[in-house]
Amino acid sequence: LRRGGLAERLCRLQNRERSAISFWRHQCISDTIISGKKHKSGVLIVKILEMCEECTIQVAVCQQLEQTPATLSPGDAAVNAGEPILKVLFARETAAHLKSRPQDVILIHPPWQKLLLKNTDVPVIMNTYFSQKVLLSEHSETGEKAYGLTKMPIRKNIISLAQTFRLDDLGDALHQEPSENQVACAPQIPNNCDSKQHPLAPSAVNDSLLEMVESQGAVGWREVQVRVIIQRVYCLPAREGSRSFCSEQEPVSNRGMFCRLCLLVQDAYGMFSEVQLQSPSSADDVEQYCRRWEGRFCCLAGMKILQRTTRGRALGLFSLIDSLWPPVVPVKVPGQSQGSEMMTKELPPPSFCYILAVQSSEIDVEVDEKEQISHLYQPPAVRGLKDILQMDGCNERCSFWARVLYLRLQTKGRVPINQREIWLFVTDTTLQNVVPGMPRVVGVTVAASCVLSTEISEALSVASQRVFFQDALWGNGRIICVERTVLSLQKPLLCSAAGVDLSELTGPVRLDELDSTTQANSICALRGTVVGVNERTAFSWPTCDRCGNGKLELCPQDRELLYCNQCSEAVVSPVLKMQLEVFLSCPSRSQSTVKVKVRHEMSCGVLSIVRLDTSVYEVQSVLGKEVGLLNCYVHSVTSRPNCVGLEEIVLL
Amino acid sequence: DMLFSRLNFVFGPSAVPALGLVDQRAVTRVTSPSGRTAYQVLGSSGKPYTCYSSCHFCTCPAFGFTVLQKSESLLCKHILAVYLSQALGACQELSVSEEQLTSILLAEEEDEG
Repeated sequence: LRRGGLAERLCRLQNRERSAISFWRHQCISDTIISGKKHKSGVLIVKILEMCEECTIQVAVCQQLEQTPATLSPGDAAVNAGEPILKVLFARETAAHLKSRPQDVILIHPPWQKLLLKNTDVPVIMNTYFSQKVLLSEHSETGEKAYGLTKMPIRKNIISLAQTFRLDDLGDALHQEPSENQVACAPQIPNNCDSKQHPLAPSAVNDSLLEMVESQGAVGWREVQVRVIIQRVYCLPAREGSRSFCSEQEPVSNRGMFCRLCLLVQDAYGMFSEVQLQSPSSADDVEQYCRRWEGRFCCLAGMKILQRTTRGRALGLFSLIDSLWPPVVPVKVPGQSQGSEMMTKELPPPSFCYILAVQSSEIDVEVDEKEQISHLYQPPAVRGLKDILQMDGCNERCSFWARVLYLRLQTKGRVPINQREIWLFVTDTTLQNVVPGMPRVVGVTVAASCVLSTEISEALSVASQRVFFQDALWGNGRIICVERTVLSLQKPLLCSAAGVDLSELTGPVRLDELDSTTQANSICALRGTVVGVNERTAFSWPTCDRCGNGKLELCPQDRELLYCNQCSEAVVSPVLKMQLEVFLSCPSRSQSTVKVKVRHEMSCGVLSIVRLDTSVYEVQSVLGKEVGLLNCYVHSVTSRPNCVGLEEIVLL
Repeated sequence: DMLFSRLNFVFGPSAVPALGLVDQRAVTRVTSPSGRTAYQVLGSSGKPYTCYSSCHFCTCPAFGFTVLQKSESLLCKHILAVYLSQALGACQELSVSEEQLTSILLAEEEDEG
């Protein structure tokens, strides 16, 4: 705003008025007005005859009274002839505060303003900020309370476009023109807007995101709410350098990333928006919110627009939106009455999406148990892994329920430990029932951008878990969990699983056997004969037989004994663990050299340290041994030389 | 001040931005030799919006939504700025040729379509 300019003056005036109004309102709350009391001059006493709303201003046709009547019954509708008629305008906020009805008596305290227009007799009263309703006897007061609970719909006067556009005389005095517009509309024009159908005050709750965004701009709107349904709930990692409206204290998920709870919402017109909650939340809450909030209606208020993004810039977001398109119920079309709704099959998928931010105090999720889940909600479609692996296309979102067999952290590169990728190897009943050409186990990569809750991270590393993967990405022959993918240990409350067998796996899990199609970063089972040992890389080390501690030291007292500082005792009979690479000849992949890193344990009995060296280990005894079905992780597969490097693993 | 108060009451949220535009002399009356006029207002984003002189119309998106579609407002801040600049004599004047004025009026139509 320019210094000393008109806008600044008006701004100051607005602030002064606002504080005066709130001060006055506070004073009024304690006062009760007894009817019949005479008021000081300047106070206008009016009785409302009829009301309507135009362009957010409430217009009340009233009768001016000399004094507040002694008795006032709601049935008293007679209009005394001779009492002057006034048209009183109330600003939207004043009207909301008053909650007046026809037949109510209102006191309008100064300063108010009167406007006399050229063409009409009825004076217009403006600047009615300091108005209060006359409260009658106790009996009416309770009736008043009953009224207060149900908001009455107010008829909205729509100024027709014809009238708007015919305004051609710009020479008129400024403040007369718009009033002229209003007064000219006094003969009521039938309104076709949907304000009547909502029980709430009109223009307070909207159902179109696009409209709210485009009409209110990026500053944020306070009084208006948008009603949408929540399709998905997930956590997004907050990147450094991204615009953040949050305070410093953002909780850190277990993977060391800042994260923010987000909702993918859809309005009645089918438009999507991603809403980020400003208040910090923990990744651990996501699952709870998912179950409580997905599929529900919610009202959003006080939103800020962060970004308008397009398909090309936000592939991840749009792959999720595409998985929810087309809508399962017909959506409204803007500009048309609610009767006609376009066939949703013809609608093209959205090409843009607004990303909004909202304080979590401004979200009102209707988690009423009686409230039905919206028909527009599309629960994740659970499929068997077999179907997913056969899907065409790239960057498709998919959801499935699988058992995790093995977990591996990415070790390459200098990535901090909490941002590494996690590789999971999973299977389900559809894969375990042998189908030629399909693998039994499939690898799922969990990227660093996929936020995991503490619960699931810990559970995964401890034992084999059944995990529900919601909205993972399938593409290029691999399943990856990225942003907006949610992993949880429980089956979702709602999911569409058409004919999918979600039952528990019975019997032992079988891995694919090592063969010519085996690739790196997979797990397999193998059997073969030992044909060689890589002596250079063989080594062994003693471990404590009580606690398994591999870092034993020399005993300070007796330099011939070993000492375990976790048990704080000497280790008399250590267990010798050996790691060595053996070369196997595997009939299933006979062309390749198969090198497997195996671990072996041997209890040494009572052994003196002198005897502990690798030469004790007899290479010869191993050659020719049959190695049974061994579960392994494939490190590398090279064609020249034709070699497969594996490592023996223990499944979860 | 009384005038300000009335302005504020009737126009609410549009009043301060409109006065801001007037302060910045953002309103230009564009005239052509044949006597046709239009108004161009430089919006806060630097984008010029055209307001018609013969009727209540502005090319900004806020007008389309709050006034035409939702009937929530009487006018947008640009139209109010035009009226205010008129009343205060704070319009800038610009004379253009017929073709230029035509293109101003038509260009907006193309955007609409």
